[in-house]
Amino acid sequence: MSTVLSAKGLSKRYGKRVAVDGIDFEVPAGRIVGLIGPNGSGKTTTLKAALGLIPFDGQLSVLGFDPRTQRDDLMQDVCFIADVAILPRWMRVKDAIDFVQGVHPRFNREKAERYIANTKLKPSMKVKEMSKGMIVQLHLALVMAIDAKLLVLDEPTLGLDIIYRKQFYQNLLEDYFDEHKTIVITTHQVEEVEHILTDLMFIRDGKIVLAASMEEIGERYVEVMVSHDKISAANALQPIDRRTVFGKAVMLFDSAAPGSASRQQLAALGETRNPSVADLFVATMKGTYA
Amino acid sequence: MNTLTMKWLLRREFWEHKGSMFWAPAIVAALLVLLVGGTMIYGLAAHGVPNTVHINGRLVTHDALSAALPPEMQSKVSRLAGAMYLLGGAPLFIVMAGVMFFYCLGALYDERRDRSILFWKSLPVSDATTVLSKVITALCVAPVIVLVLDVIASLALLFIGTLGLSLNGIHLFGTLLTQPDLYLQPLRLLALLPVYAIWALPTIGWLLLVSSWAKTKPFLWAVGVPLIVLLLVKWISYTLENFSGMPLNIMPVAQEVVARLLGGSVPGIWFSFTEGIPAAIRESARDQGPDMGALFEASWMTLLTVQAWIGALAGAAMIFAAMRLRRWRDEG
Repeated sequence: MSTVLSAKGLSKRYGKRVAVDGIDFEVPAGRIVGLIGPNGSGKTTTLKAALGLIPFDGQLSVLGFDPRTQRDDLMQDVCFIADVAILPRWMRVKDAIDFVQGVHPRFNREKAERYIANTKLKPSMKVKEMSKGMIVQLHLALVMAIDAKLLVLDEPTLGLDIIYRKQFYQNLLEDYFDEHKTIVITTHQVEEVEHILTDLMFIRDGKIVLAASMEEIGERYVEVMVSHDKISAANALQPIDRRTVFGKAVMLFDSAAPGSASRQQLAALGETRNPSVADLFVATMKGTYA
Repeated sequence: MNTLTMKWLLRREFWEHKGSMFWAPAIVAALLVLLVGGTMIYGLAAHGVPNTVHINGRLVTHDALSAALPPEMQSKVSRLAGAMYLLGGAPLFIVMAGVMFFYCLGALYDERRDRSILFWKSLPVSDATTVLSKVITALCVAPVIVLVLDVIASLALLFIGTLGLSLNGIHLFGTLLTQPDLYLQPLRLLALLPVYAIWALPTIGWLLLVSSWAKTKPFLWAVGVPLIVLLLVKWISYTLENFSGMPLNIMPVAQEVVARLLGGSVPGIWFSFTEGIPAAIRESARDQGPDMGALFEASWMTLLTVQAWIGALAGAAMIFAAMRLRRWRDEG
């Protein structure tokens, strides 16, 4: 499949502060990519650049368009939710559906109405009368009814109840995603998205520190519950993270790092398993919060 | 840009500003009819139709009064009423000028403040089309709404007034309905829309520019910057005059620029920016009543002045700048 998003030397500075520091990445079509990093790491800036919302330096191609000069063409095939609760407060549910149908050639009205029928939303309800969760439901209904090639979600569930969050990602996966679509999600709530992602990008201080598919990550990183007698041997193999769970040492190993142990060697140390993305994130971002 | 998108953008502006664009002038129109018309009706109902009146100390009966009003006087009154009745709704245009001012000031600022610009920008609508929809709303949609309300309110007042007179034995309906002006005035007013648009363009452009540029307090920027510049110009020309003894004539220019930036959305203001109402019209107005047809022609003639087009060009340039600013302005 073709490349949906490709960046070469993408940089963005706000005054003296460098928000994005010359990053390169590629996103192929048909993937769900998580762009994950702490607050202020450059996630949102990267996406804003890709959506043509801010000027930037370097090269960036989205669906073959340059977002700086070809934004109007680009927006025919791209949709985004930049933040929750940004729908205009005066808008009614039926106005929103009418309007999006009026201006968007790829909007499917039946799909949006079917989705809204499953919620508590009423056609005459105004956005300012809605709870945050209901606004997200409306926004999602509008966006999921648009047949876009690329969907960008920037912190789509920030400040929402766990029930809405779960439902949000479930709907996204079941009703929206298919092999012709690409979704890019930024979040700092890793554990929520790790089960739906196909690819992972960790961003830290404006740089990409890890970019891999979930399969590659499963092969590369190993978590070992080290038995008491083998702790010193395990430490010698340079784990990238150590913690203690119920009195047992749990160590995280990067099998791709130079001079590190193979899976068989690690299996001899104790019980092995695939680490969660959240644990990997914490290990990778060590020191960022210090 | 396609016309369907524009139709929806205009509808969206109307949805959002229904309160200020329709309900505010509609309520003012209703109040006008109620208060002015109500006073007339109340006067007749409470006091009845007077059978005799004292004029200069002499008792004149009602029949004598009607008889004293000769037919040519009656037709003159009808002609005047037919020509002038739309002035009955004049307060509506003052309301409109105010509504327009604040509409343009908020048009590109509010969406950034509440971050809903991120929603509008997620749809395939270009910045140029969006800004243009706001210009069309300010220059066409809102004035046409007010014009229709003005015609309705004025006709209602005219009807109430004529009814009151006929209860007094002065029957004007017949002559009034044959006045061509009665039917022509709304069309003339509508045909003034292009004149209004050209003269309002600098103000609309300035307000939209500030609206898309200001990070906070667009009102202070829009009004404060021109006033401070005006003060500076006054101070500079005053000091220079004291030094060199030569009068500098930049003050009137600066004053005109500021007036056109801030006052252009007031209908009829074009006369104050040009030579004014032609003397011939003012003189004939003294004994014949204002000739609305001539006033209409004089309004169109103001478009032959250079000031009109310099302002329009400046307005268009500021609108273009507002489009570019909206393209790159970060929200929040």
